[in-house]
Amino acid sequence: MQEFLQLVVSGIATGGIFASLALALVLIYNAMGLVNFAQGEMAMLATFVAYSLINRGMSFWIAFPVTLVLAFGGGVVIQRLVIRPVERAPVLALVIITLGLATLVNGLAGFIWGYVPRSFASPFSPDSVDLAGVFVSYRDLGVIAVSGLVLLAVYLLLQRTTVGLTLRAAAHHPEASRLLGVQVSWMLALGWGLASAVGAVSGMMAAPILLLEPNMMQAIIIYAFAAAVLGGIESPLGAVVGGLIVGVTVNLAGAYLPGVGGDLQLAVGLAIIIAVLILKPNGLFGRAAIRRV
Amino acid sequence: MAALLELENVHAGYGPTSVLHGVSLSVPEGGVVSLLGANGAGKTTTLRAITGGVRWSGDIRFAGHSLRRMSTEDIVRRGIAHVPEGRGICTELTVDENLRLGSHLRRDGAEVQKDYGRVFDYFPVLKERRRLSASTLSGGEQQMLALARALLMRPRLMLLDEPSLGLAPIVVRSIFEIIHSINQTSQVAVLLVEQNARIALDMSSTAYVLEVGRVAVQGAGSELQGNESVRRSYLGY
Amino acid sequence: MSRIRTAPPRYWLVLLVVIFFLGFPTVISSFLASEWAQAIILAIAIMGLNILVGYSGQLSLGHGAFMALGAYTSAILVHHYKMDYLVTIPIAAVLTGLVGFLFGVPALRLSPLYLALATFALAVVSPSLIKRPAGLTGGVQGILVLQPDPPDVAREAFAFVTGTAMTSDQWIYYITLFCALVLFWLAWNLARHRPGRAMRAIRDGEVAAAASGINVAGFKTLAFGISAFYAGTAGSLLALSTGFISPDTFPVSLSIQLLVGAVVGGLASIPGPLLGAIFAYFLPIESNQWVPSQTWLPEQITSTVKNAGPAVSYGIILILIMMFAPNGIVGLIRTGYVTVNRRLRGASDPQTGQIPPDTQTV
Repeated sequence: MQEFLQLVVSGIATGGIFASLALALVLIYNAMGLVNFAQGEMAMLATFVAYSLINRGMSFWIAFPVTLVLAFGGGVVIQRLVIRPVERAPVLALVIITLGLATLVNGLAGFIWGYVPRSFASPFSPDSVDLAGVFVSYRDLGVIAVSGLVLLAVYLLLQRTTVGLTLRAAAHHPEASRLLGVQVSWMLALGWGLASAVGAVSGMMAAPILLLEPNMMQAIIIYAFAAAVLGGIESPLGAVVGGLIVGVTVNLAGAYLPGVGGDLQLAVGLAIIIAVLILKPNGLFGRAAIRRV
Repeated sequence: MAALLELENVHAGYGPTSVLHGVSLSVPEGGVVSLLGANGAGKTTTLRAITGGVRWSGDIRFAGHSLRRMSTEDIVRRGIAHVPEGRGICTELTVDENLRLGSHLRRDGAEVQKDYGRVFDYFPVLKERRRLSASTLSGGEQQMLALARALLMRPRLMLLDEPSLGLAPIVVRSIFEIIHSINQTSQVAVLLVEQNARIALDMSSTAYVLEVGRVAVQGAGSELQGNESVRRSYLGY
Repeated sequence: MSRIRTAPPRYWLVLLVVIFFLGFPTVISSFLASEWAQAIILAIAIMGLNILVGYSGQLSLGHGAFMALGAYTSAILVHHYKMDYLVTIPIAAVLTGLVGFLFGVPALRLSPLYLALATFALAVVSPSLIKRPAGLTGGVQGILVLQPDPPDVAREAFAFVTGTAMTSDQWIYYITLFCALVLFWLAWNLARHRPGRAMRAIRDGEVAAAASGINVAGFKTLAFGISAFYAGTAGSLLALSTGFISPDTFPVSLSIQLLVGAVVGGLASIPGPLLGAIFAYFLPIESNQWVPSQTWLPEQITSTVKNAGPAVSYGIILILIMMFAPNGIVGLIRTGYVTVNRRLRGASDPQTGQIPPDTQTV
């Protein structure tokens, strides 16, 4: 029982990592109807930037917000340079562009930092604390806390501020928003910046657990896809709930299902994606879209 | 005195298809002007040209400033509120959020509060349903929301595209009463596109009748109303 | 006889290309022949992907997994069951085609985006899935495939032409070339006739296609099956050509490489996959060798290109092509041809003197 609860808690922690990346995917999907296949690679690049900052002597807790700001800027730049010129292209063309972006960012990271895995120190202490008989590591708690705070901050930004309002309006109703004076194009750029920053959180939380190398996020993005699809690709809340469910499920599957361990846990992620798409394609919180003919 | 809005020999179209073939009209400060005509005559296209939704040639000037090459957002920020065909309600947002989108550009907080008060006086149902999703509103209520939202922008000019479309006659009447009242009290100019010519002419100082992309008839509202042959040929009654 | 005289120049070009490839190995080294064989293999896989993406509008990012299936089928049949390699090629192709067809059934319910997502996940996971049944697949260590010697007939013909002994690599080249010719000819026919038109109608507007009486579900799953058939063939040939396969032979970057080749070459075209394959295969090799050897380029650029590697170049080129030339190389050639034609023949409207606008593509 102890072990079970410990697995659940660490599953929630990894779920927080998945949820952050899934939220980034959902933000961009809401803005453009597009799944950004480069989200994981962008997060990885941001994490490398954080790594470099920390190596130069910055403490983690200063490098963290600095990286978020840089990631935000990077997202805006990418939207302005690469996405905006082809805004009106068919969705498949945009998907291919994000794939190109993913390849490019991955290669760039490999070029700058090489492919040798590096260790990324966790900002939290390695000790565990006894919570009602269950030993929970500070690291897991830390990841849960950081992810939770970031997700909460995004929620507040989107729902309670004017900027968030115009962001949502621009994402869902671009034409109507223009007629209300909303600068839709800049709102999209902001959306990309925000998504990039949220994704960076995912990367920085993941790096201490995995080793930091250019291919680090490739597994995580699969789990993030699973989380987003499970929660409903348009629902930010769904991304969070989906992330938690995927995190816990994958952890438990790895421990209790025979033969599923290490890299085959990824197959669990794939299985979740396929199961959701076949059984309930709109996910838990998504709405059935009526296709306009 | 120059008019608030002036269109001079405007040609506009979608791709290779030309819809407007030299339309000229003007809207005076605080005036109400109707743009009438059958389906496909180009009334909606005219409004879209004004707010930059369609490419045009010729000249369109608002408060003396040409609107050529301006983006929709920038044109709107100059003080034109456009309630499009279909109303453009943001159904993913609540009623309140829709209203806030109307006022989000304004810096004069106290005046904004006053306008909210005025808007809720005109449309009490919106106050009741503030927290609900805009998708739950009926057609008439959505029209009210669209108008309220436009009002909250405190525009100098409102472009209204078929406000009566799909609404019951009694609702239409009350909405037009409100539009009239808005124009009288706030001095907002109105360019009104309508198929319901009778009710439009009742409140317009000037009217233009479009036919196949050209201005076929123009004159004072009362004039057109009184002219039986014009009414029969162009206005359908 | 008159048919030959009035055949459009395109047909002559095709004939020229075929003859070129037939004769190619006689003038290049055996090693180069094996490289070109791999490019041709890629072309076959890309042709398959093209049928799916370009002609029927379904995006698959997992074709590397289908190649793996074809490769492992052949390798296992040869290794465990001692079958003749050539016999295993059609078996692998058909098996993969069937799996693809079955895959196409649930794929029907997915929007293009979700399909891309699901196939991407499949591509990422497949190396792990391959490793598991280690007894069958050799696990991490893979399977060695013995490369056959050329049969006497071929050996004699080759010696007659070139005076040198034919190597295994060259023989394998001809096998792949033969398969490619058959499959390209098949694809060309498909595109020209009913299936091709139906698929294009589906790609351009599913609802309209269905309303016109086209069996949308049938053609979409058919497209998947055919596309997988091609990928399976390519995979099987790949195992033969490289002599060794392992889970690492089929990473997700392979699936992306196929997509890059398809897009760069030109979707919904027949020559596109070949051009795209040549690009996709030789770019990494050339950028590592050719660019640094160009002494007129500044040192910084050559060392950057050399170190940054194919990934960065791929990424940039993919993005640029989708932005400026979404119809790929073939599209550029076609537009160029049309523009030049117009200038030469004066295609302006006789009344207004205006050149008609370009028709929309993609």
